[in-house]
Amino acid sequence: MLSHASRIGVIARHAFTQLVRMKVFYFLAFFAVILIGSNFFDLPQHEGPESAGINILRSIKSWSLGAMTLFSVVLSIVATALLLPKDVEDRTLYTILAKPVPRIDYLAGKLIGVLLLVFVSLALMDVLMTGILHLRTEMVLADQMAVAEARNWPAQDVALLKSDILAQGPTASLQGAVFSVFLRATIIASMAMLISTFSSSTLFTTIISFLIYFVGHFQADARAAYFTHEAGTGDGFWLRGVALLISLVLPDFQLFNVIDAVIEGQVLPLLILGKLTLIGLFYFVFYVIASWLVFARKEF
Amino acid sequence: MGAVRLPFERALNADLRDAGLMPPELEVKTSDRIGQTFSAVSLGGLRTLVATFLNLRAFSFFTEQRWADVADTFDTIVDLAPRTRYYWDTGSWHQSYNAASYYLYESKLPGLRRKLGWRESILKGRDFLERGIRNNPEDPILRERLGFLLSDSNKIAAFGDVNKAYEASYDAYMSAVGIGNSRWLAKRFALYSLARVPGSEREALAMAKEVRAEQGRDTPTMLGLLYTLGYHEDPSQSVDKLIDSVFPSREVAYEVLGGLWMRTRDRYPVYGVARGIALLEAELKVPAERSVLKQELPRPMIPEDYFAPKK
Repeated sequence: MLSHASRIGVIARHAFTQLVRMKVFYFLAFFAVILIGSNFFDLPQHEGPESAGINILRSIKSWSLGAMTLFSVVLSIVATALLLPKDVEDRTLYTILAKPVPRIDYLAGKLIGVLLLVFVSLALMDVLMTGILHLRTEMVLADQMAVAEARNWPAQDVALLKSDILAQGPTASLQGAVFSVFLRATIIASMAMLISTFSSSTLFTTIISFLIYFVGHFQADARAAYFTHEAGTGDGFWLRGVALLISLVLPDFQLFNVIDAVIEGQVLPLLILGKLTLIGLFYFVFYVIASWLVFARKEF
Repeated sequence: MGAVRLPFERALNADLRDAGLMPPELEVKTSDRIGQTFSAVSLGGLRTLVATFLNLRAFSFFTEQRWADVADTFDTIVDLAPRTRYYWDTGSWHQSYNAASYYLYESKLPGLRRKLGWRESILKGRDFLERGIRNNPEDPILRERLGFLLSDSNKIAAFGDVNKAYEASYDAYMSAVGIGNSRWLAKRFALYSLARVPGSEREALAMAKEVRAEQGRDTPTMLGLLYTLGYHEDPSQSVDKLIDSVFPSREVAYEVLGGLWMRTRDRYPVYGVARGIALLEAELKVPAERSVLKQELPRPMIPEDYFAPKK
């Protein structure tokens, strides 16, 4: 068991280094520009003095989590799709497999390497977002408290205003939202890994993975269609069949759209985050095993 | 695999919807309005990001006074981000205040069209706020905004029956109070609306005493209402004693009652106010030609004043 973990660790580190050398972290510079821009550009807002600046906090979260989602999805798919073909092209794969390295260790290591890269990138973006959001929240809070004081607001109203502003700042739920972005990326990367074990090219893996990602957002609708439509013949029968197929095969990516609610200032309960983590883990384990089943039979 | 996780995902989906963490399904008309690219993005879990972009677009429409486009854009925005109070509040404000003022003062359309545009904008703003409340039943601020709109002196004529509008305003404020985390002003403003509903004077007086005891802030409106509602209870009582029981001084009483007398736009009750002013003017030796009672009273907001053809 320990030797499995050690082998997986070595392969993961190698995959991580390999991806870092592809200069993917340059994306962080773009992210920083977007974030700093959204903070300091005086974007037009339709708000009165009693709520001035609060919407900027929402915008910062919205831009940041949007960029994190896009980055993590693109990186998870492209990086995973690249890894196996690149190892074949460089002939590294033959060297590894010639050694007593179980194929499942190789796949798990590669996948963990990609996930490590996504995690580090998201963590860096999160630090940047939280820092800027914290500074901006303090600024908005100071401005609004000055307005409240000038208007001689009662303590009850000042407390409400304060909690309203702080709910839009860096909260624990916001960190939960970033983690759910990572969980979604985990599922996508695992799925891309499975596709790349039987795909003929990187392009094929990338396109199919993106398609599944988008169709996965309809999984909940398909499930609802299956459970709400009466069983019958003709169109109804086929509709239910297709709905069932989508529900059984594709992951439900909509579950991870909790980030929208968090941007709107909702609290993300720990229990819900725990359930999302369980789903993420389930897919990770399932796709790794499925990839191994395909990869184990592959001749090189 | 699917059979194992399907019940779990289904239950989690229900949990998320119950907790208000799952956005409602995107309607087909919303997808049409935002276009295919934005639809794809919003399906990918970036609805609030699209709403942020559309908010910027709405600002451009606002500066160009394209009110129908502003309304359409906010309809789309709230479909994407239904739990954000700011969008409901702003969308309603654009219609009830900005578009309505445009039709009132700036539009070059014929009078009848302007009147129609003014009224429709205000009603659209009200409808938008009511939708916001239905989507965010636990938000007291949206209810306060509705209460404020329904009792706004410059808008109330658009609602038809003024008394019913004040009653609805009172209900909106009190529903905000009932939620439990409303602002201090909600109960006070509820009182101000109730005081303007004919037949509710006794209830309003009791509420005024309660609010004064709870909040301890003697604003001019509060003092004026305590006087006029107190007078309504017993018109035969001594005005002199009533003034002493309500106001801290005769000078304050004169200032407050004079202000209340002149605030015809706000439609507050004025039971006994003329008697009180007459008594105070005599005591304070106010020259007859400067009497508040001899000044011309402003007219309440009557749409016909603005939309009648110019002679």
